[in-house]
Parts: sequence; structure tokens; C-alpha cells
Amino acid sequence: MAYEITLLTTMAISVLFALSLNFISGFCGQISLGHAAFLGTGAYTSALLTKASVPFLLTLPLAAMTAALLGVLVGLTSLRVRHDFLAITTMGVAFLFVGIVRQQDFLGGEIGVSGIPPTGLGRVGFLILAISLAAAFAAFSLYVRRSWMGFVFKSIADNEDVARLLGIDVPRYKLAAFVVGTAVAGVAGALYAHHFRFLAPDSFGFIESVSVLAMVIVGGIGSVWGVAFAAAILSVLPLMFQFVNDFKLLLYSALLFAMMRFSPDGVAGLVRRFLVTGPRNRG
Amino acid sequence: MAEILSIEDVTVRFGGVTAVSGASLSIGQGELIGFIGPNGAGKTTLMRVITGVVQPQQGRVLLAGRDMANWSVSRRVRAGLALAQQIVQPLHDMSLLENVTLAVGMRHTASPLLSLLHTARGREQTVARELLARVGIGDAADALPATLPLGFLKRMEVARALALQPKLLLLDEPLAGLNQQEARAMADLIAELSRQGQTILLIEHNLREVIRICPTLYVQDNGKPLAFGQTQQVMADPAVRRAYLGAAA
Amino acid sequence: MLSVELFVQGIVQGSIYALIALGLTLVYGLLRILHVAHAALFTLGAYIGVLVTNQTGSLPLALAAAALFAGFVGMAIYKLAYEPLLSRPPYIALIASIALFIASEEIYRITFGPYGLSFVDPPLQGQIQLFSGFYLKHGEVLVIGLSVTLLGLLAWLSSSTRTGIAWRATVTDPEIAQACGVNIQSVRYLNFFIGSALAAIAGVLVALLNNLVEPTMGSVPSYKALAIIVLGGLGSIRGTLLAAMALGVIEAFGTIYIGRMLDRDAIAFAFLIAVLMVRPRGLLGAR
Repeated sequence: MAYEITLLTTMAISVLFALSLNFISGFCGQISLGHAAFLGTGAYTSALLTKASVPFLLTLPLAAMTAALLGVLVGLTSLRVRHDFLAITTMGVAFLFVGIVRQQDFLGGEIGVSGIPPTGLGRVGFLILAISLAAAFAAFSLYVRRSWMGFVFKSIADNEDVARLLGIDVPRYKLAAFVVGTAVAGVAGALYAHHFRFLAPDSFGFIESVSVLAMVIVGGIGSVWGVAFAAAILSVLPLMFQFVNDFKLLLYSALLFAMMRFSPDGVAGLVRRFLVTGPRNRG
Repeated sequence: MAEILSIEDVTVRFGGVTAVSGASLSIGQGELIGFIGPNGAGKTTLMRVITGVVQPQQGRVLLAGRDMANWSVSRRVRAGLALAQQIVQPLHDMSLLENVTLAVGMRHTASPLLSLLHTARGREQTVARELLARVGIGDAADALPATLPLGFLKRMEVARALALQPKLLLLDEPLAGLNQQEARAMADLIAELSRQGQTILLIEHNLREVIRICPTLYVQDNGKPLAFGQTQQVMADPAVRRAYLGAAA
Repeated sequence: MLSVELFVQGIVQGSIYALIALGLTLVYGLLRILHVAHAALFTLGAYIGVLVTNQTGSLPLALAAAALFAGFVGMAIYKLAYEPLLSRPPYIALIASIALFIASEEIYRITFGPYGLSFVDPPLQGQIQLFSGFYLKHGEVLVIGLSVTLLGLLAWLSSSTRTGIAWRATVTDPEIAQACGVNIQSVRYLNFFIGSALAAIAGVLVALLNNLVEPTMGSVPSYKALAIIVLGGLGSIRGTLLAAMALGVIEAFGTIYIGRMLDRDAIAFAFLIAVLMVRPRGLLGAR
């Protein structure tokens, strides 16, 4: 049972993290290759605070705030650079984060942070918290997509110059997307820190950033259900491939490639096509 | 007559090239002015100065008496400027109806917080349908842009601009790319909008249609203002004839 | 004295960067794809270089074999992976490319083992003295010499042969070139061939400098080369070369003077972000 709880907690944290990127990249169209830096910011904030005896639940909003602060900075760069230039700039953010954390003694440097205290919620309590937060943000995402904010985001993702011509203050909306997305990534980071009880700088670098973007794209960029599903599956896929231990990364990358090559609109696209062609086949 | 737009002595230079030099123009409430000139006359540049994409080195642009210097594009739009572009730019993932609905809902999209607090779109959709019908493409409201011919998209651009309830409607070559029949129908639509009281600045290559529907013309050549006045008088001006015949020869 | 040495080290590293990043620019210029898997060909080149040298004892033969083989693999990647994705949003090709790159690292590890290969009899191990107290390894001389020769050759071919001119025109403006009757498809293949061959040669050179080839040796170039082409202005060949050299030199000085605060990669990206804030389209990008 303990193993299943660990597995489910990992899934819930990944879903929350992937949905936070989906808010920025899927809804507002700003591709980020450095989203793990915000997970890391939240994780380090929360871990250092609980080690200083701050109650865990209190660290959640603080982790969200520090991550969002960094998010505003990156969001400001997104006002200046666009498209592929932005993707590579955000990739730079991941490298800068790791590079800076590695050299700071108070952040544990290369060795990382260990001895993170337990949350006091118990394993099941912690799992319930993680699932509730993921579910709450999924519900919020679904609401936003129906709201006028989602409508505006869709136009910015499509063509931001046109959005401006329709009187939309594009910079403010982009910043809003970055603030929400990075704050939630910070919360996911706080959960991450207290789930694994150990932090190393390399866990928040480029590879982790690419993995979470892969979850979003495999799920079907912008689709809340698709992304949640893909994040849940992909986060534990390497564990499931344990039986082919030596080949698990090869299998993972081959699957990812096949998905992009044959169903570029992700799981959500697969399902949509099935629903569209399904009845016709039956009829 | 209240001034809606006034352009005062605007000059734009790109590097060493002067694209517009000393342009001045004013548009009063309810007027329909045709803005013409041969290729390279600086029409597009002046238009971009009005929308705020290009900053002039000299001169001012006032909308309803307010200097728009350093205003962002979206702020200009909210102050009452709307543009239908020469190269149509529909939002591709949205139906025509959604394209127009988003513009109708500019009250809800004024800030992220406002937009987050509103979900209902019914009223805006009704208005958007009416607008699409008004420009003659009500039947195509639910179609995606990629499935429609250029003529429809040009009209959608006009409907989307009208949806912003602008003080001034800027039309950038709305007839370009249309066949003779479509162009005539579009020109009729513009004349009809003008009759309904809409103030319009029409930038257009199609001289015949412009002369037919515009009571006033503004002519620019080589970036310099050439003539501004009643259509008949402007077209009789030898300098204007020379600019056009010279360009044709 | 130290500064001269650092500068030369920077130029050596910059030459390697230039060889790798040029192919990436060629791909980006025509296809608008961030081709991360390009670094897989760098590693492939390194493996072929060591294997052929160890078999035949000839470094030139190894260089040629690496360039040719990687060139064809590069063309195959275009045909099988990218061509079907051209009509999709660019991030699809990006993720596909990252997946390909991870798969390639795994294939190298499974095929050649995780610990890497070395030259049995490492060539070019001598040093020359440039001036008193300052030595340069033969391998480093080869890096600079070969880069200058290859890039010079490419510049000459592209400005004085008919094919070369058509090629350059296409890289500059694909649409106009197509209107002038250039076969875009064959230029794309050519770009993948040339770019991959140059990356493979860079791989052999790095193998030579380190006397080691590892499955993961491509991971740093995979993202560093992206930073370089963005720094140069995405699609600008001259910008790429300038950015490669600048980054090589800045990293060399940076690791000595601010290495305590930031590691090598972080220095590179701090520089990149600083440049983009001032020039959002890179050093030589269109304004």
C-alpha cells in the first residue's frame, strides 16, 4: 500500500506541475523550456522554511509567491522576445537557476538540501492534499478556459498582433498567465520537496523542464483533461518500464517520438478523432 | 463639425529614407475620406503612424482632441480607433462569429481580472451575428476562416473593426484582391456605413471606386501631401494628374 | 599573459561551437525547426572517428568517414522525422527532436557501452610553442585550422559556383528562391548533409582533444548550440559564427573570473539573456 501511495502522490504532483505549464504554454501560447526553475524555486523556499520550523501549510503560499516573483521576471522578458527566441530564453532560465543554486552554500550547493522535516499530515493526508490541489487547479483551468480570460488567451496564442488590434492589453495578459502558472508551479515544488524530502539542484534543470513540456504536448497542448492524463501516466512510466530497466529511457523517448510523429495533437487529439470517426464507423 | 482625427505635420524617417514628410490631414465627425496615392506614396507608413506601430520623428496625431503619442496599439483601439487590415488576419482557431464576439466584448477584456470574472457570451454573440449580417456574411458566421474565400474574410475584418464601436474606422485597402463585382459590393457597403454615420478613413488603390463613393480625397505622393479637398477639385488638380499619369507612364 | 591564453582557448572552443552551430542555423533558416537532435550527429561523428582511427590508423580517413556517414544520417532524419511535421506548430518538431536526441544517447550507450571509448594510439599529442611559456596542442591547432579551412571553403563555394549561389539565395530567402526555380527540397537535403557533416567533424575533434568519446558527450552541445544560433539571430550565418566565437571567449574568461558565482552553462545563458534584452532578435538578427 505504501508503494501505491508514493506512486499516486508522484502522479498528483506531476499533474499539478504540468497543468501549471499548460496555463502558460497551452492557454496563452508562451512556450517555456525552463518551467522546472519555478518548481525548484517553490521547492527550495518551502524546504528551507520548514527546516526553520515554519509550518508546512504556511510555506505553500510563500512558495507560490517566490516562484511567481521569478515568474514575473521571466514574463517581462516574454514581452520583449517572442517565439523561438522566448523558448531559448526560458531554457536559459533553467540553466541559470541550476547554475546559481549550485554555487550557494545556504541552498546546499552541489549537495542539495536533505533532512526536510515531515509535514505532519501523514502519508495519506499528504496524498489527499496533493490530489485536492491538483483537482482544484484543474477545475480552475477549466473555468478559465470558459471565461473571457480564456477567450483572450486563445487570441494571444493565435496572433498577438491581432489581439492588440482588438483592444487587448497583451502584456498584462501574458504577465497574468506567467504569474498564475509559475505560482502554481511553486506550490507543486513545495509538495515535491516534502514528498521526496531531498532536493538536488539538477532535479530542476533542462531535463525536468523538457519532461514537463513533453507531458503538456503529449496530452494535447491546451487540453486540461489530456494534459492531466498524460502527466499522470508519463510521471510513472519510467517506473512501469522497470522490467526493461536498461531500455526504459529508450522506450520512453521512442514513445514520445512516435506520439509527435503520428499524433501531434496529443492524447486529446487521439480521443477527438476517435469520437469523430467512431460513430461514422458504427453507422 | 467635431474633429475626430487630426494629423499635424507628421514626418517619418527610416534610416536615411524619408517615408512621410509633413503630412497633415483632419477628419470630422461622420466624414468619409479617401486616402490615395501611387505606389510608394507612404500611405501604409502614415496608416501605421495612426495605429501606433510606427513612431513619427516629428508631428502629432490627435484622436478626438487627445494626443496619442506613446500610446500602445490597444490603448488607441480602446480610445476609439479600429482597423481593418489590407492583409486579412483572422484568428484561425476561431469561427468568424468568435472573431467578432471577442471584439464586441471589449468591455470584458479591458483587464485580466475583469475577463476572469465573466463567462457569459450570449449577448456579445447576438451583437456579433448582427454585425456579420450587416456586412453581408451572416450565413458564414459559424465557419472557420480557413474554409472561406478572401471576400468573406475582408468583410469579417470590417465587421470585427465595427464591433469595437470606433470613433474612426480605418480601412486599409479593403478592395485589394477582390474581383470587380466583389469590389463594387464592398465599396457599396463602405458607402452605406458612412451614410449610417460612421467616420471612415479609406486607404485604397482602386481609384474608380474611391472616386465613386468618397466626397473628400487626400492625396500623397513620395511621402508628401499633394492635395486635400473635394473629390472633383482634387481630381482636376494638374499635380495629382501628373503624379498618377507619371506613375503609369 | 593569462588573458592571451584564455583568448586562444576561447577561440578553440568557439571554433568547435561554430562547426556545430552552423548546421543548426542552416536547418533553422529553411525549416524554422530547433533541431536538438543535431548534437546526436556530433556524438556519432566522434564514435566513428575513434573507431575508424583505431581500425586504420588514419585520422584523415576517420574524419572523412565521420562526415560522410553523419551527413547521410542527417538527411535521413530530415526525411523520416521532420518533413512530415513541417505543417505542424514548431514545438511539435522540437519535442520530436528532443525525443530523437534522448533515443540516440541510449542507442550509443547500449551499442558502445556506458564508459566510453578512447584512441588506442592517440594522434596529434605534441605541442608547439607559440612564444615563450605559451604552448598550443597539435590537436588545438588542427581545430582552428580545420574550422577556418572548412568554413572558408563553404564561403568560397557558396559565392563562386552556380549551385552555391542558388543555395545561398535559398538560405537567405526560400520563397524568392523557389519563385526563381530553385528546388527547395534538394537544398534542404544539402543543408542537412553539410550541417551534419560539420557537426560530425566537430565530434571527431572533441574526441581528439579529450581522447574520450561518451554517449552523453552531445548533451552540452545540444542546448549550447541552440543558445548560439539564437544569440546570432536565428538563421543568420554570419551571426552564428560571431556568436560562437564570442561565447567561446566569454566562457573562457568567465569560468576564471566569475566561475565562483556561475558555472560555464549559466555564464553562457546569462550572456544570452543579457544580449536578448538589448537586442530581442539576437546579435545580427533582422530588426
